[in-house]
Amino acid sequence: MTGRGGPASASGRVEFDPFSEEFFADPYPVYRRMRDEEPVYYSEKYDFYALTRHEDVAAGLKDFATYSSAHGVDLAMVRSGRPAPPLVIMMDPPEHRRMRQLVNRVFTPRAIAALEPVVRAQVERFLGGCDPAGFDAVQDFSALFPVEIISAMLGVPPESRQQVRLWLDVFLEREPGRIEVTRRGMEALISTGAFYHELVRERRAEPRDDMISALIRADMLREDGERTELDDMEIAGFATMLGGAGAETVTKLIGNAVVTFADHPDQWDALRTDRGKVPAAVEEILRHQAPSQYNVRYCTRDVDLHGVRIPAGSAVFLIIGAANRDERAFTDADVFDIDRNAVESQNIGFGYGVHSCLGAALARLESRIALDALLDFMPRFEVDRSRCRRVAMTNVAGWASVPVRVTEKGRS
Amino acid sequence: MKVRVDFELCESNAICMQLLPEVFEVRDDDFLYLLTDEIAPGQEAAAAEAVRRCPLQAISLED
Repeated sequence: MTGRGGPASASGRVEFDPFSEEFFADPYPVYRRMRDEEPVYYSEKYDFYALTRHEDVAAGLKDFATYSSAHGVDLAMVRSGRPAPPLVIMMDPPEHRRMRQLVNRVFTPRAIAALEPVVRAQVERFLGGCDPAGFDAVQDFSALFPVEIISAMLGVPPESRQQVRLWLDVFLEREPGRIEVTRRGMEALISTGAFYHELVRERRAEPRDDMISALIRADMLREDGERTELDDMEIAGFATMLGGAGAETVTKLIGNAVVTFADHPDQWDALRTDRGKVPAAVEEILRHQAPSQYNVRYCTRDVDLHGVRIPAGSAVFLIIGAANRDERAFTDADVFDIDRNAVESQNIGFGYGVHSCLGAALARLESRIALDALLDFMPRFEVDRSRCRRVAMTNVAGWASVPVRVTEKGRS
Repeated sequence: MKVRVDFELCESNAICMQLLPEVFEVRDDDFLYLLTDEIAPGQEAAAAEAVRRCPLQAISLED
């Protein structure tokens, strides 16, 4: 065996660098080689392991005892050894469960379905401002509407909603070759925290019908058996995370959808004439190009897998984006097909197990309504691929800019 | 075969109900109820599918 992860191929060992230009541009060829050649990949450059096969990633996501979230979910944090902030995504059961239960009834499919008019109004508001002769599907549309919805649920006043999104963008950005958050990103995080601290203070004085007020009223069973209220830091952390996760991801899913359907106009036509296929199309976009590409976990024990030992204490990438393209799990996995057998394997674009996406129902509703509106707005369209730009971020992938020209206008 | 649900984990996605409405029911109060904990002969495949497709992995089967 050469290398720690398996035999080298003729063209040399696979290099997976999640902070490289090559990765941001197109991770899928590297994922394929990792699945085939080094299903337990080891990065000497950054000292982490990575799982890419569907079976392994799904099992890893389920096995929270082995693959702990309590040290953080991005490489910089897991490697730092510093304690993770008190965020629900950075906890293990049973603490995780108690924290998630504070908000999870807000996000059930039934509860979210009631938001349909709100979602439709925001989608139409921003699409109404787009010029069919030339607009940016991300900058002018998909980046703008999701944050309005989630931050309104939280209780963020209208004039601050877009600012919250801009701060998060800066926080997630990575310079090629650097795993750490940038100085600007740190400043943006501090600004976000200060903003929510102030909002929590206001809601303590004058509660409203929003999630921040509900979190102020809630109490939580602590490890010592006491029930106590959440402190300002916990509430601000919750709001930062929900506001971020609820904005960043649908933005990317819709950007990915526009670019992908530009390459598959036949499927766009099929969707336009049969809107009943929109939910399946959303699932297929999510499978084919997951906005959340990976989560990093901390390995709590030695794991032996595919002939490789992952030592306890290692950082392990669970790569959803690779697992959902695994031909061991999905027939013609690289092919984008809105009519594919949706249950052949579990689509883990929203994760799997205790940490599976809390906002999945909201993301689905927003994505369905956005696609439906886009089908009316641009029955035929072109994407200027030469001017498309991708984001360079940790954990999430997608387009920062997608210039579109509508070539056949629909009803307005 | 018996079915168990971890109700602390369940978030009422109702995928199990679509697969096996004779066993799983999400009611108007938006909570899941088990109509029986017995998986009858002929229901095993649907029950296994419910286990696999529950996003939270809140369902388990035992003999």
